Amino acid sequence: MAEGKPINVSDATFESEVLESDTPVLVDFWAQWCGPCRMAGPVIEKIARDYAGKLKVCKLNVDDARRTATERGIMSVPTLHLYKAGRLVGQITGVTPNFESDIKKKVEPHLQQAGIGSE
Amino acid sequence: MTDSVYDVIIVGAGPAGLAAALYSSRDRFKTLVLEKFTPGGQIATTNRIENYPGIIQIDGPGLIEQMHKQVQSFGAEIKSGCEASKLEKLPDRNIAVYCDEDKFAARTVILAPGSSYRKLGIPGEEDFRGAGVSYCGTCDAPFFTGKHVVTVGGGNTALQETLHLTKYARKVTLIHRRDQFRATKVLVEELKRKAGEPNSSLIIKYSTVATAIKGRGEVQSVGLKDVKTGREQDYPCDGLFVFVGMEPNTSFLKGFLELTEKGFVRCDCAYLRTTVPGVFVAGDCRIGAAMQLATAVGDGVVAAMMLKEYLREPSWWNEPVSDMLAPGQW
Repeated sequence: MAEGKPINVSDATFESEVLESDTPVLVDFWAQWCGPCRMAGPVIEKIARDYAGKLKVCKLNVDDARRTATERGIMSVPTLHLYKAGRLVGQITGVTPNFESDIKKKVEPHLQQAGIGSE
Repeated sequence: MTDSVYDVIIVGAGPAGLAAALYSSRDRFKTLVLEKFTPGGQIATTNRIENYPGIIQIDGPGLIEQMHKQVQSFGAEIKSGCEASKLEKLPDRNIAVYCDEDKFAARTVILAPGSSYRKLGIPGEEDFRGAGVSYCGTCDAPFFTGKHVVTVGGGNTALQETLHLTKYARKVTLIHRRDQFRATKVLVEELKRKAGEPNSSLIIKYSTVATAIKGRGEVQSVGLKDVKTGREQDYPCDGLFVFVGMEPNTSFLKGFLELTEKGFVRCDCAYLRTTVPGVFVAGDCRIGAAMQLATAVGDGVVAAMMLKEYLREPSWWNEPVSDMLAPGQW
């Protein structure tokens, strides 16, 4: 697992990287043509750095991995999904005004439950 | 804590903030730009700009990329992922700007935090966000290919995004609470032409408001009300796009300077001086803002020029607006 950096996932790797992961996984569903997705990019990278080793951060391009995006009911980008033990436990749609802290608020309880303290 | 004091800290790297940074860094002022995401602001979500003088057509991200490069070439420091949370007047007349655990100090501040999408505030809007409710047509239109969407609004963004959606959706119904549009004529004409085509996929409903969003898991219908007759109906659709204007991103300024009831920053609108000496405002978040790319850029330029007046003579802050700047001051 690339420590501290988002991992690109595809239709072929979504199951193994995300659903079968031992650590909680944050997935950023994004698209090239989406302005807010570009704005969200650096925040997603920061989250990956801040939670290195505790949280896996993945990026899924909805144009390249259309099947997974459809299966996961994505109708808006960016959408963030938080998965734990293969189950969807949290979601954020769009770039919210306090994006970074909103993500942290969603993520942290699930890290603590796993017996790993937050920062 | 940092020990170096900036000449100016600019909060926000949208068009207003970047224009201000261009002028101040070109004037060799030590400039810091704080941006909570990455440079761009609202304009970065626009795919077609054709009302910026001198540029026939460009997309938002493309324009911002140029502005960003231009600003950096003059030495302004830009910190992305840095959200201003608080401002404070220091005893030495400098101003502190906090973001996360960092504290930066400057002799002047230009506030250009911009604005965000306004919500309708109707039942179902929060629940169906991302499941059919969207605020960005250019982002989410492709997800509604072959579907029926309702769009809400009557301004430039609403019309532009509605036209964009007609390229993807099978059917688009635009609802507007008034009986005529606020948007610029060229867009209104384009919209009406589109709606008037034989078998057009675009329907316009005037004097109509959305009252609720309904569905199971995903949007299935929207409650519509004719404001003239009072008649209500449940209107089947797959999605709702909301384009009803903007709200200023000024909650972090409460208690520091004067805001209007709706959260806009009070200023003199000529020199862009706020109620706190040394703190200027530029762009969408100020009173009287035209909410345009070109006016945001203009504001940034004005604020960056005026800060020289303040730095030269702090008592200038309370002087009335004069005929023009003295020769040699522009």
